[in-house]
Amino acid sequence: MVTLAIAKQTLDDMLRRKVLLILLIVTVGMIAIGPSVSFLSPRESSSILRSLGLAMIMIGGLLITILSSIQVIPTEIERRTIYTVLSKPVQRYEFVLGKFLGGLFTVFVMIAAMGVVFLGVLWYQEKHLAAEMVKGVMLTFFQMMLLGAMAIFFSTFLTPVVNFFVTFAIFIVGNLSSVTESLTNNPNPATKILANIIHFILPNFGNFNIQNKLINPTVEISNENVFIMQNIVYALIYSAVLLILAILVFDKREV
Amino acid sequence: MSVATRRKLIMALAPLFLLTVLMQHIMDPKIAEIHKGEHTVFSGLSNEFILGPMLGLSQAVAGLLWIRADEFFDSGDYDAILPLVRMVTWLDPHEIDVYITGAWHMSYNFTDSDQRGDRRYIPAAQKLLEEGYENNPTVYDIPFEIGWESSDKMKNYIRAEKWFRIATTLKSQDSSGHATKSAPIFVWHQLAHSLEHQGRIKEALAVWQQALAISNAKLKLNPKDFSTRNLRDTEEHNWEINLKRLYSRYTHEINFAIDRKMTKSFNPQTGQPYPDDAYIYTKGPEAGKPRPAATANPWNCAFNCHPVFIQPKVLMPNGQFNVGNGARVTIELFDYGWHPEKLKHFTFDIDESQTIMWDQHSVINGKWGRKIDMSRDPTMYSFSRPYYWLVFYFDPRQTSPFIQDKFGWSGEGMTDKHYLWTVKSPIPGAPTDRILQKVYKISRAQVLGLEPITEKDVVPNAVFAKEEGEVFP
Repeated sequence: MVTLAIAKQTLDDMLRRKVLLILLIVTVGMIAIGPSVSFLSPRESSSILRSLGLAMIMIGGLLITILSSIQVIPTEIERRTIYTVLSKPVQRYEFVLGKFLGGLFTVFVMIAAMGVVFLGVLWYQEKHLAAEMVKGVMLTFFQMMLLGAMAIFFSTFLTPVVNFFVTFAIFIVGNLSSVTESLTNNPNPATKILANIIHFILPNFGNFNIQNKLINPTVEISNENVFIMQNIVYALIYSAVLLILAILVFDKREV
Repeated sequence: MSVATRRKLIMALAPLFLLTVLMQHIMDPKIAEIHKGEHTVFSGLSNEFILGPMLGLSQAVAGLLWIRADEFFDSGDYDAILPLVRMVTWLDPHEIDVYITGAWHMSYNFTDSDQRGDRRYIPAAQKLLEEGYENNPTVYDIPFEIGWESSDKMKNYIRAEKWFRIATTLKSQDSSGHATKSAPIFVWHQLAHSLEHQGRIKEALAVWQQALAISNAKLKLNPKDFSTRNLRDTEEHNWEINLKRLYSRYTHEINFAIDRKMTKSFNPQTGQPYPDDAYIYTKGPEAGKPRPAATANPWNCAFNCHPVFIQPKVLMPNGQFNVGNGARVTIELFDYGWHPEKLKHFTFDIDESQTIMWDQHSVINGKWGRKIDMSRDPTMYSFSRPYYWLVFYFDPRQTSPFIQDKFGWSGEGMTDKHYLWTVKSPIPGAPTDRILQKVYKISRAQVLGLEPITEKDVVPNAVFAKEEGEVFP
């Protein structure tokens, strides 16, 4: 209950932040102007509309997740409001989980809003409901959940500025999972070891990228739903690992 | 937090983390499958695009690059399009239209000052399409395009047939983009045409029948489908006209003007028109008797040419051909020892030292040939080799039906004292093609107009075939 109360408070706080709302408006605007590429062939227009829409949701979600997650704990410490919270019967782990869930709800609301606009634009342009796009939007949400957990973990011991760059850098490396995967078979032993470390230790954000299939419906993915479920389970487990680490670090931190 | 809880959490970390490693291991083969054919492109991308692939947004960057390519099409900056085609297809190997447009661009848009195509790009265009097919093996579009370019651009009808046949077995996309529908009926039409171009008329007729059956089945489901009805009529017409031509060219010549007015029906096995009026003599001593087949009395083509380089790199062919107006003679000038490239991978870099000129001239009143000025395009016609083949040929399989009506599909009705040459088909049972061909082997000095071209430079067709094979640029 305490965790949920903190999460609700965090969500309310986030939704009042102008920077996040501006990000949402800009992203939704970018998605809405997608049909302007209809000067290409219908198939090209459709593929560009879909790819740009999913890209916008991902970029918008990325910025909203990072900006919200890197600040939630340091801001409380900086404003000293954390003393008031922790002086009450609130455990530190409840505080960390509450902050994470609050950020997650925020990201969910924002991504859902972008997703609805995206589906609306596709419906307007293609005259049918592109329901399969929900999979892409959903996987972006779980990708952002993992990213948020990582940002929360780093926020327990890094300043927001350093956290921003570290999280962003790991997100980029983690997005190259198809590259690191192929490098794990590299004949050079040093490259192979490094690739294995990166591939299996860092969170693989590239796993959630099934845009190929969504943009080009002719691409077949065998057992697609199983793969999506595996991704969700991966995101949940890895987020749990990061949150446990965050709790352990924050528990020892002097506030 | 109590020490015990802390310890429990630390204990839980290891198995959870190992679980993520295991999950990753399970998902890896699928990730490789999803990203098959993709290349991670960083070099060559401008600053505004470089972050996209890093964030996993390859498809979006590919889309934006293709919009940029479209701008280059509009501004005529054709050279700038090729690297973009390469990057887009690496970033998103499922952009079918990019493969098709890119290959079309290479095959058709690079020309000299007189709009003669730069055929050095054709192997690259074909390779790009083959790569596209490897990455998109379920839809008909790319095999159809390979077939079309093989037929229209390369005049290689055997290759065209192979790819049209592949296309007929594949699917086309519905309005939601899923490959659920059969390949469109025009794929069967082109398959039939590719067989006609090989002189394999009975097989072509069978394909027209197949197409008719498909269209009729569709019409049964929706009799008001105007588009299918139109296509069905085309198929019926093409089947009928091929059957009648078969009769006219090889059994009894049909007067098609009479046929249009008099014929009420025809024998669906032989093409014989009913009543008989269209294929019997109406005047003269033979009146009432059926005409012989159109190809029964060989037509003396009197094919020849006397090429002259009137200025350096400016060729005047000066040809003769006893045939009706509208037949087209093909003229090729290319490096001695040249063979079509067999590319292992697609590249848009061509060998600029190669010279390949390809043109077709119409016969008017028994003469053909106009000035071919290659001096204005040194990058296309570098003439950097010491010797060249200069080939003039007429292939009845490439000509219009009204010319074929004299000669038959494979030149059965042609004769010529000097330049008749037969080309065997590698397809068992397919008819041999009889073409007219005169080949010169000329030197660079002759191209530059320093020495004249004489009849001593003529190379027998058998020698040319032995040295170069039957494959033309």
